[in-house]
Amino acid sequence: MNNPEADGLATANQPVDETDFVILGRVRQLFDETDPMPADLPGRIRFALALRDLETEMARVAADEDAPVLAVRGEERSRTITFESDSLVIMIRVGANPDGTARLDGWLDPPGARQVEVSTSGPPLTVLADEDGRFAFGSVPRGRAQLTVRPESPGLPGARAVVTPELIL
Amino acid sequence: MTVDDPRPAPVGAGRDARWDERRARTAGLLAEARAGRTEALGELVPELSPMLWQVARSAGLTAADAEDVVQQAWLRLVTHLDQLSQPSSVASWLVTTTRREAWRRRSAGRRQFPAEQDWLAAQPDQDPDAAEQAVLDEERRELWAALAQLSPRCQQLLRIVAFVPRPDYDAVAAGLGIPRGSVGPTRGRCLAKLRAILLEGEEGSPDEQPGG
Repeated sequence: MNNPEADGLATANQPVDETDFVILGRVRQLFDETDPMPADLPGRIRFALALRDLETEMARVAADEDAPVLAVRGEERSRTITFESDSLVIMIRVGANPDGTARLDGWLDPPGARQVEVSTSGPPLTVLADEDGRFAFGSVPRGRAQLTVRPESPGLPGARAVVTPELIL
Repeated sequence: MTVDDPRPAPVGAGRDARWDERRARTAGLLAEARAGRTEALGELVPELSPMLWQVARSAGLTAADAEDVVQQAWLRLVTHLDQLSQPSSVASWLVTTTRREAWRRRSAGRRQFPAEQDWLAAQPDQDPDAAEQAVLDEERRELWAALAQLSPRCQQLLRIVAFVPRPDYDAVAAGLGIPRGSVGPTRGRCLAKLRAILLEGEEGSPDEQPGG
């Protein structure tokens, strides 16, 4: 073996074997010594995850009227999705604006003047639902989006935000 | 430690019952988290976080930013559980998410030092006590020198894959763009090159048997 570079390229397509894992083990050891993860980081992450349980409630998709058909840009059709969590049902209808953005109309059940936030690829948008639980975002950028419904009285014990899974507008 | 292991075997041969147990356990934790008990994901944190730390640090983030990005990746996982159909995709999803966020922060101007070379500039700490330490130091220097011959991209990639738990290797390697062969992940150019350099070094040293 004379030219390590040539040899390296020649064996690049071969399956990873035990020798490779021995080498990777050495690389790991090297970086464990030179740049280790802070020992308390996992604990802090677990704490953050546990805290989230106390503060938020996950909603799941209960019904997606035309799940396989995403609302297509510019097309005059809408899509209705229902999310539900233990304490709240969120229904949204996604429509298309002529400018290519999405329009989002929603209802909360039980109704309440709760703050509704939609996080997108851009800055998050916030509206307040009315007493009947209705809310609307006139123009939301297409792409990934996620809804968070804040508790009506955030100070109360047990008041939790409800978060939907991410959806594609 | 020699890298010339006499029993080369494809990665598939490393599978055993413990992998299946781990997979079932992960599936159970994901189901718990989907049902609203986010805390269940915490059980995966100690095993997978060192890998994510290296992802963030190899992208050039400061320690504070790296901690933040790793924690954010875990919290984002909570809201993306629906996207993870397989327990085996958790590690890969976390790596991709951490990488993307690390790049985003770096390009947002938070980078405080050149991304790829900073770790090479820092020499490993010397451990003075044991007698066998001299051998370890020698091995470490050799590895350090070999890594320094690779491109920054390869250094970064190997630094990440070295921390991937073995059962997750296949999925994470694929996510990082390392081609997959018929029986599993291939060595890829970066690892192949590092291996060639190290093996060449061993053959060149007089007191070491080259082996097969």
